[in-house]
Amino acid sequence: MIENTKSLDRTANVILAVGVLYILFPLVITLVTATQSFESFLQNGFSFIPGTYLLENIQIVWETTQLPRQLLNSIIVATMVALIKCGIAFTTAFAIVYFRIRYGGILFGMVLVTNLMPLDLRFITTYQVAANIMMPVNALLDFFGITYIVQTLTGYRMNFQVSVLNTYFGLAAPLLANGTGTFLFRQYFRTLPADLSKAARMDGAGPMRFLWDILIPLSRANFAALFVLMFLGGWTSYLWPLVAASTPEMQTAVVGLARLSPGDPGQIPHYPAIMTGALMVSVIPLAMIALMQRHIVRGLTLTEK
Amino acid sequence: MADTNSQFNSRWLPIALALPQLLLIFLFFYVPIYMAFFWSLSLERPFGGGAEFVGLQNYARVLNDAEFWKATWRTVVFMLIGSSLAVILPLILAVAADRRVRLAYPARNVLVWPKAVAGASIGVVFLFIFNPFIGILAPLNEVYPGLWQPGLDGTDAFIMLIIAHVWGGIPFNFVILLAGLQAVPQSFHHSAAMDGASAWRRVRDIQIPMVLPQLFLVFVLEFTESVTAAFGLIDAMTQGGPGGATTLLVYKIYVDGFKGYDLSGAATQSVILMVFVLSLAAVQFFILERKIRYER
Repeated sequence: MIENTKSLDRTANVILAVGVLYILFPLVITLVTATQSFESFLQNGFSFIPGTYLLENIQIVWETTQLPRQLLNSIIVATMVALIKCGIAFTTAFAIVYFRIRYGGILFGMVLVTNLMPLDLRFITTYQVAANIMMPVNALLDFFGITYIVQTLTGYRMNFQVSVLNTYFGLAAPLLANGTGTFLFRQYFRTLPADLSKAARMDGAGPMRFLWDILIPLSRANFAALFVLMFLGGWTSYLWPLVAASTPEMQTAVVGLARLSPGDPGQIPHYPAIMTGALMVSVIPLAMIALMQRHIVRGLTLTEK
Repeated sequence: MADTNSQFNSRWLPIALALPQLLLIFLFFYVPIYMAFFWSLSLERPFGGGAEFVGLQNYARVLNDAEFWKATWRTVVFMLIGSSLAVILPLILAVAADRRVRLAYPARNVLVWPKAVAGASIGVVFLFIFNPFIGILAPLNEVYPGLWQPGLDGTDAFIMLIIAHVWGGIPFNFVILLAGLQAVPQSFHHSAAMDGASAWRRVRDIQIPMVLPQLFLVFVLEFTESVTAAFGLIDAMTQGGPGGATTLLVYKIYVDGFKGYDLSGAATQSVILMVFVLSLAAVQFFILERKIRYER
């Protein structure tokens, strides 16, 4: 450039340094506190010098809390959310873009509308549905008089009860009831040349063959981006896992962490252990972010949250 | 895809392909929303004790409840302050990171990290950092006793909440705004600089106008998000206290529904919040969208 940019660059560097500090500060505090022993923590309080008690603290958390089990729950739920979302979002977008169907627009609209109303706004009634997912079936049977007919004929009153609360499916399914990935794949398919599927059809390939041999390999980067985003979304979600799991054994790690308070209310809590818990809860998604930076940035710009 | 030759013909296959997604959306989106509206018009007993149609009674009860209006007001305040900071800070950072300076690359990496940390997790950490007795502001309390008391002072608790909220909001907004800034052609900068426009002037007259679409998008999403995103933070940090000072509407709905078993009241407030979020998005869309028409 033609101008002297030195002072501008310095300002930019200072701004970025402040931003990075803001992000890193709580993370560093977590890490340092997790390495302190409870005794030295009580004596010195807040410290920036790492201690040597990390393993002992991990042991405390591992043996006296439900966090290990809850971490497993988080891994299962987040993986389920990510995998299932990749699958169903891909097939839905495929149906919308690559088939000659009249209701394609309505279908897409129905899926897209879901993004206006996040789960955290409708959790009260979602909970009731999860408590009995057969409720709509019962209502339909009632509405069409089938319940009445069956009852008069056989004396049996149909009222199906299937609760998915306290199950992995119940924890994951409502997190999947949105249009996030469908939109991403639809946009991507529309950037692909139309000749692609035309050529496939000319060569006699059926839709599933086209999907399997051409579309899936082409979409690899999108799958990676969506997988990472959905995994992180599943891992960090809070309100739904909080209400959908009523026992500590089924709660996810983030929910468990917020309830991790060793010690009496009047006493100073065992902060080194709590920070160790915070570290354990965040280490898997943080590693994921650090390693898959590109996919996340790509995913964020593509899905618009 | 206008060219129909490129599309397949099948009656059942597309339905089968879309069915899993549709079933999930039907069951966990459309049914709950329908139920929320239905419940807001009836008196629902906990544990499935049956319902009774009561018209707009629930709405009258909720709208006459002073606690509801307080929670709504707090939600609006949180939304305005929290979202503004969560957009403006990333904007400043993105403008800085758009210059090719030494810190730009590591910053782009680090600023995305909060995406991996759940609100409740960072809430637990910030609660510790801001602990009035052992936290970072404890020395302040020794000089001026009682200056920082997030456990007793509602404003302090609110500040704490907003700092944690902005922390978590940086990644998405930063990434989107930076992507927008990087799409601005370098030639714009060069020609403006040649015309003698200062760096600040270029930010104001070129960069900001050019990222208005991204800025608009980020604001809309941030506003809607902030209505519910604070839940994890509140539950982990303040449980709505002290004295209800951090009870935003979403937290009140949770407490009413799951602690007080007032399902009709919770459903009614959910419906009000849904309508609020929808109209918010609509207003922003119609007002803001109209003002940012330009050609690139």
